[in-house]
Amino acid sequence: MAPYTGIPLSPAELSYLHTSLSQHPPIRPDARSPTAFRPLIAETDILPAANGSARICFADGTEAIVGVKAEVEKTPSASSHSINSHSINGEVADEGVRGLGSGGVRDVEDDGMDVDGGEDGKQSSKGRDEWLEVAIDIPGMRDDDALPVFLSAMLTEALLADGALKDKLYINTRFHWRLYIDILLLSLPLSYPLPLLSLTTHLALLATRLPALVSEKDEDPLFNDDWEASTHLYPPTKDETARQKPPITLLVMSVGENILFDPSREELAVADAVVAISVTQSHTNTTGPDADADADADSPNPLHLIALRTIDPPSRLTAAGLPNSLNTSAGAGAGAASQSLSSVEVAVTREKDQGVSVWRPPRGGVKRAVLARMIKMVVQAGGVGEEVLGGLRGVEI
Amino acid sequence: MQADRRRLNGPTSGTAPPVFATPPNWKVQRPTRSRKPDEHRKIFLRTGIVPSASGSAYYEIPPQTPSQQDELLIPQSSSLKVTCTVHGPRPLPRNAAFSPNLLLTTHVKFAPFATRNRRGYVRDASERDLGVHLETALRGVIIGERWPKSGCEVVITVLEGEEDAWWGDAGNEQDGGKAGGWALVDAGIDCVDMVSGGVAAVVQQGSADEKMDRDVVLIDPTPSEHYGIKAACVVGYLQSRDEVTEMWMKGDAGTDTEALVEGAVRAASLARTVLAEAIKEAVELRSDESHDNAHANGSAKAEKTKQKDVVMTG
Repeated sequence: MAPYTGIPLSPAELSYLHTSLSQHPPIRPDARSPTAFRPLIAETDILPAANGSARICFADGTEAIVGVKAEVEKTPSASSHSINSHSINGEVADEGVRGLGSGGVRDVEDDGMDVDGGEDGKQSSKGRDEWLEVAIDIPGMRDDDALPVFLSAMLTEALLADGALKDKLYINTRFHWRLYIDILLLSLPLSYPLPLLSLTTHLALLATRLPALVSEKDEDPLFNDDWEASTHLYPPTKDETARQKPPITLLVMSVGENILFDPSREELAVADAVVAISVTQSHTNTTGPDADADADADSPNPLHLIALRTIDPPSRLTAAGLPNSLNTSAGAGAGAASQSLSSVEVAVTREKDQGVSVWRPPRGGVKRAVLARMIKMVVQAGGVGEEVLGGLRGVEI
Repeated sequence: MQADRRRLNGPTSGTAPPVFATPPNWKVQRPTRSRKPDEHRKIFLRTGIVPSASGSAYYEIPPQTPSQQDELLIPQSSSLKVTCTVHGPRPLPRNAAFSPNLLLTTHVKFAPFATRNRRGYVRDASERDLGVHLETALRGVIIGERWPKSGCEVVITVLEGEEDAWWGDAGNEQDGGKAGGWALVDAGIDCVDMVSGGVAAVVQQGSADEKMDRDVVLIDPTPSEHYGIKAACVVGYLQSRDEVTEMWMKGDAGTDTEALVEGAVRAASLARTVLAEAIKEAVELRSDESHDNAHANGSAKAEKTKQKDVVMTG
């Protein structure tokens, strides 16, 4: 799956980009440092009819709007009786239909959480994967194209991975919230839109508010109609760093040994590997101090890797260059000599060149060491993940 | 009076519904993992099963443990059966845009009967998503620039999916990507290496009543056998280059991330030994056939070699 197939760059341009990006330190076309992000404009609460919304505009002109809508829905009765019992339990029929996103890991994890929840199983695994719906609309693409499907699976996976969000949607044993996250890419997908969509979703969820519940326990839910009294889906705390937050997904690419963040379209065209890494802040309970105690020493809320996917780099679709020795129009192999080259010889010559003198689309995968370094750069204390979250903290919600 | 012929009337005296007796303190047992943490299940693999395709493979993980005496109607653990066919490389249609590289398309489809819950005929989002994963894994392996203006299709059909949750019903898609590599090699497309898939998971040890205390990295997990899978990782691995073409990790592995990747890579290299053997077998079979078409012993010999088990060595 490629976000775009027509990369308007010649082999010579690609080779130039690749060489400059493999320098130490890499020289990026827009002179950013490897970990620097492009400037962006962000605002929240722009849609009055949505529970939460956000808009982000990247410097390259890509722009996305996310609206979050919530609906009260009746929980199917299957889960209302004894969620906790390990017999033929509440795994209702449509579990996992939305796929990987709702696939096995978390379903099984629910069971695990039941177990360590102990006294009251309903407290720990009340949420269900299908209560969250993510829809992505990209102009010029069908809903079932590979890109939107892949993006929404990636985002859903990250949102559901830690189980925190779906538990917030639980009202009582009979009712729950159903959350619709509608992501609208306003511009054409110039570069790979994943980080844009993920950050916008992050902000929209932070801004999402649900009406305050006034009914108790298992009554039919009744809500306070005062919007001022509504509660945040992710309640704000005094110390903004301790606030529980939805996950963010970052796009990371590598060229040789170099690791670059927030790649632009041109950079992606020469990437050796592209990886999407989703991180979230670890859970902190409302009783903050004891949560901090067992966390890592230096940072109150260390980031956790919750999902990772390699993405097919568009560089594999680029055309390979022709070495000078084979290029008849460059005068090499003067007429008769080049005619005599068999196709095997041409292939051998090209193979020997190995992308040294001309551009050749990358082959193979990515080294494990590079992957491990990418993860570390995102997750570590003071790493890129914290930096991005810190930057988003500046957005007024 | 004439009898009512249009309906099937029940017996006049009425009937009692059947009641299936269960032992009083009967409890459904979750299957347990009897393998070692770093032991892969046995794999059955054969290439060249679809004559009309340019490459094909059949991949199966037969059920490992025979079901216990507390027989249930529904099997406790399912096996995984996957077929894969490769069509192409063949020229792109006339009206298609020029492509300097081989265009790879992948389809992953669960058969409607593959999982406990029926799947539709139209691919749903999860299947499309899997197809993308497969494509990512394979695109890194093939040498696309040697096949300009041509296309290649990889179709994977999951005949029987692995159960995802115990008594649950979602299929385990994680193994789905595995079989792709085998068939591709069979099709004779230029590859840099054989890609093989591996899965590993971080699992909480301990049963319902114990406290979950330690996390273990298992390779080739069977979802039905474990209570709490914290994180899982799928890789597409090129052993000779020591590179990863596809990595897909879900869940919070905490500090075990590296170990998890390590486990998945180990699973992939184990699977690769079987893959290499299966391909060797297929090549032998083919060369036998071409050598002595007159002699009928070619197939007999092939049969003999088929029976041999390959020991997975990492």
